[in-house]
Amino acid sequence: MTLETGYGYAVSRLRAMELRILGKSLFQRLLESDDFKDAIKTLGETHYAKWLSDDKGTQNFEYAISMELQEAYDEVDRFTPDKELSQLCRLPYDIHNVKVLIKGQILKQKGSKKRTDLLTKLGNVPIDDLILAVESEDYRLLPFGLHRVVPESLMLWEQTHDILSVETLLDSHLFLTMRQLVQKVGYKGVEAWVHAKIDSENVRNILRLRRTGMDAGRAIEFLHDGGWISKEKVLSLLSEPVEGWNRILGFADVSRVFEGVPETGNVDDLVSDIEKALDNYITDVLRPYRYSTFAPENILTYLWSKEIESKNVRIILVGIANGVDKESLRRLLRNVQ
Amino acid sequence: MELLGIMLAVLGAALAAGFAGSGSAIGVGIAGEAGAGVMTEDPGKFGLVLLLQALPGTQGIYGLLTAFFAILKVGIIGGEPVSVNVWQGLGVMFACLPIAIAGYYSGIAQGKTSAACIQLISKRPEETGKAVILPAMVETYAVLALLMSIILLNSISF
Repeated sequence: MTLETGYGYAVSRLRAMELRILGKSLFQRLLESDDFKDAIKTLGETHYAKWLSDDKGTQNFEYAISMELQEAYDEVDRFTPDKELSQLCRLPYDIHNVKVLIKGQILKQKGSKKRTDLLTKLGNVPIDDLILAVESEDYRLLPFGLHRVVPESLMLWEQTHDILSVETLLDSHLFLTMRQLVQKVGYKGVEAWVHAKIDSENVRNILRLRRTGMDAGRAIEFLHDGGWISKEKVLSLLSEPVEGWNRILGFADVSRVFEGVPETGNVDDLVSDIEKALDNYITDVLRPYRYSTFAPENILTYLWSKEIESKNVRIILVGIANGVDKESLRRLLRNVQ
Repeated sequence: MELLGIMLAVLGAALAAGFAGSGSAIGVGIAGEAGAGVMTEDPGKFGLVLLLQALPGTQGIYGLLTAFFAILKVGIIGGEPVSVNVWQGLGVMFACLPIAIAGYYSGIAQGKTSAACIQLISKRPEETGKAVILPAMVETYAVLALLMSIILLNSISF
């Protein structure tokens, strides 16, 4: 009999913290708000209240969303036995920050002003450290292989002036680092989650590339290794109609994404429906572990739920502020748990 | 030979108290960890958590009870000194094994179930009744083991 007690405290605390995650009924209430002010008022009845109470939060809901997410990450960091699980979820923010800084360097070369306001504190690496490393061109102390990939990206930009290639290089590095972290912790569910994330990203990329009419030779550069489905198989989707993707990917779990997508003539609707289904698919990968008392995967489940919650809140508030009809907004909402 | 018989009986008593107590300690520890996690967020659940944490503690009591029976039987505490041959000593030791083994494993299993139920009440405090029943089901097997140990001890005559 094994004693899986390392996560007894952490998972129990998360169970209590899950009560704070916004549910369907709250999203429904937010959707039914008469206007943006009303929606902010409804959000103020939740755990977000503390970020909305100051002027900064009321005027800039993005600040409230970001602070709520930041608090969730910081709290989990304090008690999770494996920091790698939280690092996994924070890594995309590090890569986002690197992209912002690289684009800032490019703008600087062109004589424009840098956009440091787009940097987020949600990453593993403190923003100041990243800025200092890029400004001083001393990358040696950057963790997660960033010491190698940041100068490599800048060099690629110098050589090609192709920002898409730079972004793809950084994304590939993101997934490679995620896979390395997974190997370090060795949890089956975490591995499945990362595989699902990579598959979802590849499918999302191929969907977007298909719209731009890109040829297969170039498109393969935008796909990443490490998913359940090989890059070649994903690439074969490029020449097939979306209706046939379910059949082609029938052997993989991700094929269920295309089962739930309603038939629509509108390409934009189709893309947003598939993107939503991909997020739901990633959520579903972790679902079996929700019933396990000591499963480390519960850490990921909680953090991913908070990410999806943020996404939903952002969709609703941006939609209401821009007068998007409620039915369209409802269609975009992801399953939080 | 008489001394060896008594020592075997003492070994049985030690196994009963030691293993069942260890199972309880681990079980209570597992449930306690889970309880601390929930109470960090909601200290108001202390009463419910304490109830569930205490459940895996009973195996230790059963082990102690059996150990007392065993040493009483051979006259180490109370009563008149009894002559115990090797076979009788072995009998006492074997009689202690059901609660030693079942107490150890059921204590841990009950601790895990209690931890799961503590997580249950953290989300649904209205389900406390059901949350207590689930770990109590594990208790059944500790009680059966205790019963068997006592029956076996009583069946040994000196």
